[in-house]
Amino acid sequence: MSLAADAFVSQMAAAEPWPESATLYQPLKEDQILLSECASSLAVQAYLRMCGLPVQVVCKANAEYMSPSGKIPFIHVGNQVVSELGPIVQFTKAKGHSLSEGLDDIQRAEMKAYMELVNNMLLTAELYIQWCDDGTAAEITRPRYSSPYSWPLSTILAYQKQWEVRRKMNAIGWGGKNLEQVYEDVSQCCQALSQRLGTQPFFFNKQPTELDALVFGHLFTILTTRLTSTELAERVRGYGNLLSFCRRIEQTYFEDRTS
Amino acid sequence: MAAPDELFVWEGDWGLPSVNSDCLVLLAYAQFSGAPLKVHKVCNPWRCPGGAIPALRTAHKEALWRPSDIIIHLRKQKYNADFDLSAKEAADSLAFIALIQQKLTPAVLYALWVEPKNYVEVTRRWYAEHMSFPLSLFLPGRMQRHQLDTLRLLRGDASLEASEELEKELYGDATDCMDLLAQRLGTQKFFFGDSPSSLDAFVFGWLAPILKCKLPNGKLQQHLKSLDNLHAFCANILLIYFPNNSAPRSGRSDECRDPEHVPNRRTKQFLSALAALGAMLSYALLTGMVSVQHGHKGAVEHSGLSHPHQDDDEDD
Repeated sequence: MSLAADAFVSQMAAAEPWPESATLYQPLKEDQILLSECASSLAVQAYLRMCGLPVQVVCKANAEYMSPSGKIPFIHVGNQVVSELGPIVQFTKAKGHSLSEGLDDIQRAEMKAYMELVNNMLLTAELYIQWCDDGTAAEITRPRYSSPYSWPLSTILAYQKQWEVRRKMNAIGWGGKNLEQVYEDVSQCCQALSQRLGTQPFFFNKQPTELDALVFGHLFTILTTRLTSTELAERVRGYGNLLSFCRRIEQTYFEDRTS
Repeated sequence: MAAPDELFVWEGDWGLPSVNSDCLVLLAYAQFSGAPLKVHKVCNPWRCPGGAIPALRTAHKEALWRPSDIIIHLRKQKYNADFDLSAKEAADSLAFIALIQQKLTPAVLYALWVEPKNYVEVTRRWYAEHMSFPLSLFLPGRMQRHQLDTLRLLRGDASLEASEELEKELYGDATDCMDLLAQRLGTQKFFFGDSPSSLDAFVFGWLAPILKCKLPNGKLQQHLKSLDNLHAFCANILLIYFPNNSAPRSGRSDECRDPEHVPNRRTKQFLSALAALGAMLSYALLTGMVSVQHGHKGAVEHSGLSHPHQDDDEDD
């Protein structure tokens, strides 16, 4: 979202309270949604639940094309549409709901850094495994991604998306990696998160922040999604405190709706 | 051990050991970890392994290009700048490096390669002046397209162009990132106490060009200069780890900015003389001031004719 629109949104947002009719859009849950999209969507849902803001989840086959930034998920609140966790956090902050108010400057810097770590490594690894591992792409990703469309559009769109993701991987230097190196990166990232969490209930002691929501979204999705290989989930399972962290957040915030 | 690893980096200027951020990160890391690299400062990527800069040629003649691969390679050889970090510090280091890659890198690429004024007046000029003749015509442009492509893919926007809105957004992210780094650094000498680590190398590599390069659009530099501790941090690393670069090189770079000084003077003079000569000749030919006589063979065959000029006219 652009900065000008950002400023406009925060002005508008401050004026109105959070409506009951807020909606979160994501692709079809059973047939279409991919690992990385599911993780991002779950992160936003967890964040909104931590803030105590009600939101209704709606699955749409064309969610990707409805989103203003082309990224999933996005929320529709009042007459505004905001996509991705970062801007959504800004948006709720403008409405007076924030989880990171209590942090000092250094903690806030660390929180932002760890959020970028998750985006930089976990999200990229998910994208890599989905689209650049040939087995996963052929068996899971392309069929699911193109499920709402009929042939030949389905094939064209799926390969177009795959090509785009592969180019992005080349641009950030992941193009030359093999699967083992990607798993190694995931382990490294989990190791760092596990170190940071230690024995605390949340990353910054007793209060959850947007970092907790983001980490939960990704780890929980990795743990509960079936891929062609279980290696990715196994890498996460090696860290006991992260597992109990996921369980704790699931119980606290998702008790009523077990998926 | 056999021959040392060889590192190929872009030449330095503006008081920096290299003008490229990736190269600066690697040079700083090598200094911090004490790795004995043989550094080649070059301006011709085609003479480097794989045609890319930075590049590392290992003792076993393998080539590595990605900075992270090169750092891992050095680490495997026991040149580890992060040896003293605790597990939690290592985690923090990884997180802040991710922060730099996500927030600061796109803005620096934008400032140097995409912002039209900066690119034309500083970046393209620098690379064109430092490359040898035929390369300088097309390589800077090709590098720019590559960087623009990278930025487009990073942002997920295929039609991204230089615009005020984009600049505001990227610079906003970058200034936030600098603020966060400044807060994390506080009053310490380095990010994790008294000895530098890989995070310090990354911060230095991406901030030093902003600090030292005089760009027409210098909003990032203004902000960085307002953060005293980060500013001092970069100056300090330059002073301690690259002492011979900061002093004598700056003298040379002044010389470079001097309009009288042109690299490859002889070649350029020769080529421009050649071009001028070619232009004059073709003008003369086209306007008919000079004409080339074709009818030589005919003239020999019809040697009996007493008017070779007529013969010429028929041939034409």
